[in-house]
Amino acid sequence: MRKSNIWAWIILIVGILYFFVPLVATLDFSLRAEKDVYPSFEAFRTVFSDPEFYKNFSSSLGWSVLTIICSTLLIVPTTYWVHYRLPNWRPAVEFVTLMPFVVPAVVLTFGLIRLYCCDPLPLISSPILLVAGYMVLSFPYMFRAVDTGLRAIDVRTLTEAAQSLGAGWGTVLFRVIFPNLRVAILSGVFLTFAIVIGEFTFASLLNWPAFGPYMEYLGATRAYEPAALALISFLLTWGSTMLIQYIGRGRGVETQVAGTR
Amino acid sequence: MAFLEIDNVTKSFSPGTAAVKDFDLRVEKGELVSFLGPSGCGKTTTLRMVAGFEIPSTGHVSINGEDITDKPPNKRNVGMVFQAYALFPNMTVGGNIGFGLKLAKKSAEEIKQRVDEMLKLIHMPGLDDRYPYQLSGGQQQRVALARALAIRPAVLLLDEPLSALDAKIRVSLRAEIRGIQQQLGITAIYVTHDQEEALSISDRIVVMNEGRMEQVGTPFEIYNFPKTDFVAHFVGTLNAIKAEVRDAKAGLLAVSGQQIQTAQKLGAVRSGETTTISLRPERLSFAADGKKANVLDCTVENITFLGSIVRIQVRAGDRTLYMDTFNNPFLELPKIGDKTQITFSAEAVLVLDESAAA
Repeated sequence: MRKSNIWAWIILIVGILYFFVPLVATLDFSLRAEKDVYPSFEAFRTVFSDPEFYKNFSSSLGWSVLTIICSTLLIVPTTYWVHYRLPNWRPAVEFVTLMPFVVPAVVLTFGLIRLYCCDPLPLISSPILLVAGYMVLSFPYMFRAVDTGLRAIDVRTLTEAAQSLGAGWGTVLFRVIFPNLRVAILSGVFLTFAIVIGEFTFASLLNWPAFGPYMEYLGATRAYEPAALALISFLLTWGSTMLIQYIGRGRGVETQVAGTR
Repeated sequence: MAFLEIDNVTKSFSPGTAAVKDFDLRVEKGELVSFLGPSGCGKTTTLRMVAGFEIPSTGHVSINGEDITDKPPNKRNVGMVFQAYALFPNMTVGGNIGFGLKLAKKSAEEIKQRVDEMLKLIHMPGLDDRYPYQLSGGQQQRVALARALAIRPAVLLLDEPLSALDAKIRVSLRAEIRGIQQQLGITAIYVTHDQEEALSISDRIVVMNEGRMEQVGTPFEIYNFPKTDFVAHFVGTLNAIKAEVRDAKAGLLAVSGQQIQTAQKLGAVRSGETTTISLRPERLSFAADGKKANVLDCTVENITFLGSIVRIQVRAGDRTLYMDTFNNPFLELPKIGDKTQITFSAEAVLVLDESAAA
């Protein structure tokens, strides 16, 4: 075996250990909920039999779907327009989308509470505020995914080709641009899904049922169940990633716009 | 009234600078007119104004008597073929060709019939279920042409459609485009920076420079009778030689003391002044012994074999000149370093402005 191959294997094994040892340890711990029984699935059984789990998980699922719809409808046309007509604005838009990385979620939430607690926009008790907050959280992921997708296609020429054939803006967006951004949009969608499912600060401070606060509550009151819940959460995220790969596989080549093969 | 009228159009993207200035052109039905010029000369901007992607700052565009200046691109019924093909990657060949017909709410049967008709026209029958990525560059551009033609546009616009293809396909496809255009009798505007392409495909050529029309004419006129220095130098190869005017009325000049007779009147210059004469390489030949008129002494510097022609580079005084001669297997060529004489007819001499001397 060549020396470089040995190093490649060493790096791979170290990487695998780094990622999997904590997971295996968490799994091992979650399987020790009952004394003298190993493996015990009691922690998983407790989680799945708790009505609060379903209530909070379904709430988060609902918030995710709403956030994904609103975020897609806001980010995709905006990013498209920036690419098509306002390329000089791209750095400014990119900067705005980085807000959740710069401003902590706690500060953002208190800002929203202060601004929308009373007139003229008393939205504090409305889920709009929570979904809007989640949309802000999803900005960096959604924007980057869509931006990368748009860079891979010749937006201007495709738009103009469609227009010259009689297409209006709606047709251009929904029949030409969106289908060619399918994989990019899906990447953004599932990243948004993964973030919203586990989000704690917004849901907790705005007092809405969600999976994040539920995990925190379990962590504070139980021993083995939080470990089981952490694994369930990981599985959901991995499931989302695999779904992206499944839906996106074998279609990437079709995004070629020019040139021969 | 012409079918397509581009009426005194100007386009400025920023105050004080015009990308296109006072562009005025009438195109007859069924005519193919090329816009030829270097990068940045305004040819694509003019085409985009016809397509509706740019709005003229001043002037009007009309098709068949209807002013379309303020109409959006999707309401103009103008087909466009792009340099980058711009086929929709998510659609099959059939989907691409039928796209405009679907938008026009044609029946499925009508669309299928028209798609098949277009595929036959571009010699790609039965390939309607292929995706663009499964086609070669030439095939993709043919599909793009079929897509633009499927909607039966009033005018077909082609924006450097062959630039992304290799040389051999370019030559065959341009003949195909011209054939289809003539077969359908469609009015077309063809943008290119390739002079050979423009000369071979066009009914008329508009040579553009710095946003202005330099000359409009048939390929024959543009090549043989260029009106400006720019056209003379941009289209084809040109030898520019400084000459002293001996007798302006008689068209007599002198180059390095050797007398040159022109067939052209020298109205703009006076005797004793300096001017520039230009000669196409193919109008030069080796002088027969004893010939006195329009003869220049020279030394052979280089000989380049270009397939059907042979280009001979000679030095006459302090100038390098090029002479083209048809290739044949029995051609007797001089050797590099040989002293010889070149000659040309009085009709071959083009007298241009002083600025032409390069």
